[in-house]
Amino acid sequence: MRETVITKDTIANPRSHYGDARASTRHFLTQRITGAINILFLGLLLFIVVRVAGQDRTDLVAVIGNGWIGLPFAVLIAVVAVHMRNGMRDTLEDYMAGSMYRLTMSLNTFYCLAVAVLGIGAVLKIVFWG
Amino acid sequence: MSVRARPISPHLQIYRWTITMAMSILHRVTGIANYAGMTLLVIWLVAAALGQEALSAVNSLYGSWFGQLVLFGYTWSLVHHMCGGLRHFVWDRAAMLEPGRRQQLAWATPIASVIITLLIWILFVWAV
Repeated sequence: MRETVITKDTIANPRSHYGDARASTRHFLTQRITGAINILFLGLLLFIVVRVAGQDRTDLVAVIGNGWIGLPFAVLIAVVAVHMRNGMRDTLEDYMAGSMYRLTMSLNTFYCLAVAVLGIGAVLKIVFWG
Repeated sequence: MSVRARPISPHLQIYRWTITMAMSILHRVTGIANYAGMTLLVIWLVAAALGQEALSAVNSLYGSWFGQLVLFGYTWSLVHHMCGGLRHFVWDRAAMLEPGRRQQLAWATPIASVIITLLIWILFVWAV
């Protein structure tokens, strides 16, 4: 059987599910912007890990508990979670479709949300309550 | 956003390996490794928030030879994904896409990621 010819109209029509132009552009830009910000995350993570890895809790709280370090770190963890969810979406779109895609995408959202909530929660606890 | 099933080709077995293809695959692989590896960071932070006892347990696990091996691999994965991202920023500006040039840029990512990872571990772990 011959393949149906894909025209511009087919692609533009949302019912043919070739993708949403607006959402896809937003996805592209989100991934670039969060990715650029993640360079700062890696820098701060390196600074923190080098300072406190293997140290006792008192030394760790002295570094992460400092608001100038802990609060930016908490914000950057949130940005990382967005980048993680966006990136995993690319992979899922390539290999999953239909209900399997929706299921795996929900798991993806759940995991990224858990990383953000637990990571930020732990950092804020150290910043505000020691 | 609804998604249609995408065609899947047996690309790994069929096509001749090129450096741009290998780095594209490695960018996705390291992305997934970083995704999973964030669990390690969260475990460490939550343990630190809970108390000295939990933190000591995680420290001894991460400080073991296997823990250090995983953390070394994770460092490289994070650095490589960052280098891959920077390569995409260059390509987004439609620069270095010509034959020859794009291969040079693709080769630069594993070279840079290995050098940066070794520098981080030499300067901050092994030399300390």
